[in-house]
Amino acid sequence: MYALIKREIQDHIAYFIGAAVFSVVFIIISFSLISRYDSRNPPVFLIGLGVPAATIVIFGICAMGATQMYLDRTRKISALLSTLAVSRNRILLARIITGILTILILLVPLTIAAGILVRIFTPPVPMFTGMVFEISITVYLMAFACYCIGLQTGWNSNPLTPSLGALFLTCIFIPLILIKGFGVHIVVILVLFIVASLLRTWHTFMKTSL
Amino acid sequence: MIEDEQMNDSVIVIEDLVKYFDGRCVLDGINLKVPRGCIYGLLGRNGSGKTTIIRILLGLEPPTRGRTFLLDADSTELSAELHGRIGYVAEGHNLIQNYRVGRLIKLCKDLSLQWNDEFFNHLIETFRLPTDRKVKELSIGMRAQLNLALAMAIDPELLIFDDPTLGLDTVARRQFLELAIDLIQQQGRTILFCSHILGDVERIADRIGILAAGKLVVDCPLEELKERVKKLRIIFPESAPPNLYLTEIINQQNQAREMVITVANWNKQKQTALEIFKPSSCIEIPMSLEDMFIECTKPNPEYIES
Repeated sequence: MYALIKREIQDHIAYFIGAAVFSVVFIIISFSLISRYDSRNPPVFLIGLGVPAATIVIFGICAMGATQMYLDRTRKISALLSTLAVSRNRILLARIITGILTILILLVPLTIAAGILVRIFTPPVPMFTGMVFEISITVYLMAFACYCIGLQTGWNSNPLTPSLGALFLTCIFIPLILIKGFGVHIVVILVLFIVASLLRTWHTFMKTSL
Repeated sequence: MIEDEQMNDSVIVIEDLVKYFDGRCVLDGINLKVPRGCIYGLLGRNGSGKTTIIRILLGLEPPTRGRTFLLDADSTELSAELHGRIGYVAEGHNLIQNYRVGRLIKLCKDLSLQWNDEFFNHLIETFRLPTDRKVKELSIGMRAQLNLALAMAIDPELLIFDDPTLGLDTVARRQFLELAIDLIQQQGRTILFCSHILGDVERIADRIGILAAGKLVVDCPLEELKERVKKLRIIFPESAPPNLYLTEIINQQNQAREMVITVANWNKQKQTALEIFKPSSCIEIPMSLEDMFIECTKPNPEYIES
């Protein structure tokens, strides 16, 4: 298993480096901007910075999943690996673990930075800590959901279905977040989506010819 | 009882295998058993389904119908451990093209249950394979050699070669065959060998299967095949009859008084049936494996199974 994960990391090292660099750059920019402004007005520019950053993150993570599967399909990597002492289950599991590692490399520093910023700029009320926790969980799950969409898109010769799935998810999400904010309902929807998406990816990967 | 034991000792079992690609029947009810220690030569023309059989056996391709077993396990449920006991040289040499040879070797070594370093290094030196070059920069022959070395290094119980000598020059092909013969001498090892080079198959195989029109038209030991398939030139006093009413005629050509037939399972009964037509002469034409292969892969051959 370790060899499979190592292979995935080496093959997609650009995404790991990209995630780490993005994370560091985002933190540096956030802190440098905050230090210039009055501590009472930080959220305004953070939102301005956060929207393009989130877009990059979503596309980047989705692209990683898609690249992993697409390169496997075109270079027939699994066709070789599955003739060695490796099962298809393990190949897919190693791939997903690699995706999770990338998400963690990207988001863990950002979460820590967000926690520090909240401590600096908000009064010590549990509500704010809870809010950071809820938003973080949602962002982690959203990132993983995007990765799952990428996995499906990369493996399918017709990426229309996963793209429609992604569009459907976005259409549900944005109004939900705007109307009800972050919370358990979003988490439940995301978890259900991730489970369904992973099951579909697993089924397709196990059944198609390599 | 003896039959049961033979069944249990079969390393490869194929039961009523059917495979369709886009509505086209590629394999039409294949049944095959390869006993332990056998070197089985699977022959067939391009597109006859040899590679498809191998891919189904290895679980790389799902069958449309029927079941296949490798080392007593269903091909659709082969465990990683079982894969580790099978060496596979794929047609076209399925290697990760953008990897350096050294990296690919390390990956295969890390993912193997056992790895014979001494033997592998001997092969790499024999083939003079550069480990610092990318796989895609290697010639087809070198890729074949690398694939072969990787398959051999795991010390496999079962070796599956899908046209392994494709792209190899004469010297490399000879090296490969000698290596295969070395392996054959190690007891209990089974080899499934597909090739277009019939001379290679004739040299190492002890059982032959010929695929034609989606069916396994020949499945018997090589020596038996040579004994059982006869090509006869028959001269009749008058024009040759259109039909001899013999079963298992693989091929028949009539020209005036002369008839050339290729017939399977030639025996005294068939000899007697032929003599009813009172031929002037009947001469056996010697056949090589290549001749037999050509005859058997012509349209509508009948089964020559033992």
